[in-house]
Amino acid sequence: MLELKNLHAEVEGEGIEILKGVNLKVSKGEIHAIMGPNGSGKSTLSKVVAGHPHYEVTKGDILYNGESILEMDPDERAHAGIFLAFQYPVEVPGVTNTTLLRESYNTIAASRGREELDPLEFDDYIKEKLSLVEMNPDFLERSVNTGFSGGEKKRNEIFQMAVLQPTLSLLDETDSGLDIDALRIVSDGINKLHGDHDAIVLITHYQRLLNYIIPDHVHVMINGRIVKTGGKELALELEEKGYDWLESLETVNGEAK
Amino acid sequence: MAHPTRIEPSVLHKLAMHAPESGNRLWTGIREKSMMTLNSTAFPNKKIEEWKFTDLKLISRTPFVRTGQAETIPAQNIEKYFIPESDRSRLVFINGIFQEGYSSIGGLGKGVTVGNLSAYARNKIVQAYLNKLVNYENDLFTAYNGLMFEDGAFIHLEPGARAEAPIQILNLYTDSEKPFIANPRILIVADTDSDATVIEEHIGLSENVYMTIPVCEVKVKQRAHIHHVRIQRDGQNAIHMSRPIAYVEKNSEYHSYTITLGAKLSRNEPRVIQEDEEVNFTMDGLVLIDGEQVADTHSLMDHRFSHANSHQLHKVVVNGSAHSIFNGKIFVRRDAQKIDSFQENRNLLLSADGLVNTKPQLEIFADDVLCSHGATIGQLDPEEVFYLQSRGMTEEKAKEVLTYAFALETIENVKVDSVHKLLIDEVYRYTRANSKPKKVLV
Ligand SMILES: Nc1ncnc2c1ncn2[C@@H]1O[C@H](COP(=O)(O)OP(=O)(O)OP(=O)(O)O)[C@@H](O)[C@H]1O
Ligand SMILES: [Mg+2]
Repeated sequence: MLELKNLHAEVEGEGIEILKGVNLKVSKGEIHAIMGPNGSGKSTLSKVVAGHPHYEVTKGDILYNGESILEMDPDERAHAGIFLAFQYPVEVPGVTNTTLLRESYNTIAASRGREELDPLEFDDYIKEKLSLVEMNPDFLERSVNTGFSGGEKKRNEIFQMAVLQPTLSLLDETDSGLDIDALRIVSDGINKLHGDHDAIVLITHYQRLLNYIIPDHVHVMINGRIVKTGGKELALELEEKGYDWLESLETVNGEAK
Repeated sequence: MAHPTRIEPSVLHKLAMHAPESGNRLWTGIREKSMMTLNSTAFPNKKIEEWKFTDLKLISRTPFVRTGQAETIPAQNIEKYFIPESDRSRLVFINGIFQEGYSSIGGLGKGVTVGNLSAYARNKIVQAYLNKLVNYENDLFTAYNGLMFEDGAFIHLEPGARAEAPIQILNLYTDSEKPFIANPRILIVADTDSDATVIEEHIGLSENVYMTIPVCEVKVKQRAHIHHVRIQRDGQNAIHMSRPIAYVEKNSEYHSYTITLGAKLSRNEPRVIQEDEEVNFTMDGLVLIDGEQVADTHSLMDHRFSHANSHQLHKVVVNGSAHSIFNGKIFVRRDAQKIDSFQENRNLLLSADGLVNTKPQLEIFADDVLCSHGATIGQLDPEEVFYLQSRGMTEEKAKEVLTYAFALETIENVKVDSVHKLLIDEVYRYTRANSKPKKVLV
């Protein structure tokens, strides 16, 4: 479904390289976790895949269902089924959640040949998705993320995921900021959304999340590269040992820092 | 023509000086007073601080004629501008002249007088207030109006009277062969405990050049409430120089919302003057401009007594090579304590060639006051655009949605449904037209 081939990316116009040759392959039905120290490039990776214009891919490729998406705009990628749950969801004052979701749902539906929903059908549809993440309907009429608490913003991201039904979801630290109950509720929601036809890439700092959402593969990203890949037990090992022992792998793998 | 700015104002001067005699004494008195201002005031230029950013060449170089000589073209389909809620509370003026046939009054219940000023020239209230509230020092434009106006709208609310429907004052400007000047006037006197909503509109029906100089006087007496919506949709080559001033008495409320969409050049000078303690007033504005438009707002909120709550949110969207000027004066006089005043000017610049000048101007002589003020000039936030795009909206749609959201805040308080809807449509039309990246086709 997703294949990153020696992906290099830098901050547009500033020449600061952040991704320094990422290789990753995610297949249908899989859950991948990416862990790694602060500033190692995890969020950048997710934004590059989603098409953020601040980053420029200088080398390598992103294949989605076998085809390069480098030339696609962020909205075209969303239409193709890619979804990014932001580490820091953006506040959009004046645009209500409902407005955003109706607009998004219908444009994505249209481009993927699904049927658009009229306002009444959409209401029912959205109520069902709200209950999946146990979100209060009051949030629908509030401006997107505006004044939401940290945890509410994260829950709202997963609510959007539920509504938009992506095929590839990149969830960037969705667990940070959620309280213990919310973490369980949101994880349950994600598990329910996940099936054989979609894939999830979770970015997280905490092994705890992986008790709820069990990954098929765990990757460690350090300094713009994936330096180690393993099964879910790798997360436990990281929890215990930290990242120090992996720093050396970075240089073993090749090019200079 | 060597010094057009020196020569041409005299066209205006001449028109004003030789305005037709008026049949009634009240008008004659106003003309005399205006003549004194005219004779002692120079035409504004950019060397004067208050006119630093606003070029009036457009006015001084236009060979205006009287409406009668402008070869105006009769207006068509006027009905489409009628507000349904004001079915029986509507005053229509075309080029400043009252249109009895299109107007409709009498649906407002007891104690509410609505009509045209010249029909009420002998009315005690008109006699007592007309032109007495105009307080613009060294202002030629109020003098031009004073010398040339023929008629205007008059609203009087007796003590305790409540206008059951919003009152629409519809000023239409017709197409013409030659540029003309219109001089609308409004006088609103709200007696104690009264209440009314007034929708003042200025609509240009074509693309001809004309100048309108609306002068509006409002007196809000004790415990009275006035909700005043002002919508400027003048023609794209029009000049709009408006002077709305309100006096607020004890425990009264005056809330005004000015929406500026039209005119090539506009200069709006709203003023609210506090006359006693315990008042609450709003002076919000929304400006949406594009192309070569220049929209200038010079406002004044004059706090003269203690316990006032005042609010001014002035939002501006600039595209093309349009130019917005904002100067918001807040005076808090020495004896005016416990003032809670909010002022914010937010500017959204959509194009590289647009220009914004903003100057909040606080002059506070009291010590126990809470005045927050701020001005921001910004583009659409690229993170917000990306966020919406990542949810499937095209870049164009995302920009449209964000611009729309920015503008919407200021019209949320307009409480007449059809007007609120009209404004939403206008905002939508503007954002639709202005969210497309302006690509140069090769
Ligand atoms: N637009 C930018 N301009 C300059 N530097 C940037 C930009 N975006 C990211 N960086 C830098 O790139 C590096 C990687 O950032 P990124 O946000 O991807 O890290 P992360 O792995 O997600 O970290 P965290 O775990 O703290 O969320 C950081 O050093 C960051 O400062
Ligand atoms: Mg991050």
